[in-house]
Amino acid sequence: MTCKNPIGFETLIAYWLGEVPEKSEAKLDEHLFGCAHCTRRLEELAALAWGVRAAVTEGRVTMVVSGPFLEAMKQAGLALREYRLDPGGSVNCTIATDDDAVISRLQAPLSGIERVDLVRVQGGAESELRVADVPFNAATGEVLVVPSAAWLKSMPAFRMQMRLIAVGKAGEKQIGEYTFNHSPS
Amino acid sequence: MAHDSRFAALDDGALARRIGEAGAAPDSAAEAELYRRLAPRVRLYGLRHLRDRDAAADLVQHVLLVTLERLRAGKLREPDRIVSFVLGTSRMTVLEMRRGTWRRETLLETWGETAEAVDAPEPLALDPDRLARCLEGLSERERSVVVLSFFADKPADEVGAELSISGGNVRVIRHRALARLRECMGAAEEEQ
Repeated sequence: MTCKNPIGFETLIAYWLGEVPEKSEAKLDEHLFGCAHCTRRLEELAALAWGVRAAVTEGRVTMVVSGPFLEAMKQAGLALREYRLDPGGSVNCTIATDDDAVISRLQAPLSGIERVDLVRVQGGAESELRVADVPFNAATGEVLVVPSAAWLKSMPAFRMQMRLIAVGKAGEKQIGEYTFNHSPS
Repeated sequence: MAHDSRFAALDDGALARRIGEAGAAPDSAAEAELYRRLAPRVRLYGLRHLRDRDAAADLVQHVLLVTLERLRAGKLREPDRIVSFVLGTSRMTVLEMRRGTWRRETLLETWGETAEAVDAPEPLALDPDRLARCLEGLSERERSVVVLSFFADKPADEVGAELSISGGNVRVIRHRALARLRECMGAAEEEQ
């Protein structure tokens, strides 16, 4: 199963996500229908895309996301529980059996900031996990954290702190600290 | 549906001709082999254009049952151009599905038990736990780009607007992240 003129992986991705012009798309359709090799590679990409979607809907992955992404989750019918915290705030939180995801809306002064890192601490300082360069919305002043729902549902009561660190040429500055007191539902 | 080695030397057109020449006694082995070869192509076309797994499965059944019926009845003038016929039928059916003029009930009314009994090959599925671990292994920026791209099938420019980065930058990050994911999943290939 070979192909003399295989479609490049980047082109397959663009095709799958609807980025190629209509005329090129028709040519790619024709090639794919006649080529078992490229079909197989597109099938791998489709499986990966479907797997990513399932990982989100089944809460298997921790993510920092955008506002439109949350809207897409709602449109997909996912049940979301949301907690909004100002800097220095804390909240008693949980995840119910029928919740698909918990959203932590971390408020912070983000205007003019180049990069934001997220630090998660669960237990002592040795458990500190720093995630560099997370997505944020300077206009709304929010960082949206979605912890793995599958992991949360498996957890007993625990406390977690999150910190947002602004990173720029002048150095680093903490811009918010947030405390989550989780208890199982 | 396993690959039938008896047909390894036959291309799609030759296989179609063989089905068409079988006459009153259908060559069910050749038909099964043609179905096995073409079903993934039609399903991917359906997924790409309809973004719905059930609709794509219906498309596969409809298109391939129409194709086999035409071949059996000798109504396909150029069996060597079977792939063009299947693509054209797929395009028309997708248009009807989008317009809402295609009904699943029609498929069942037309083909009855045949439609229910068709043994379509299963779509490729990945180990979900392994994929979750591989996703966690990406950088946050890479994970965001991959998740935003594939959860709602968004093109690079849209993802870039959400993350305040350029579409070109999204494409670079996306390409790198997918290469890492495929390698992590053990699917790294020869191409690039």
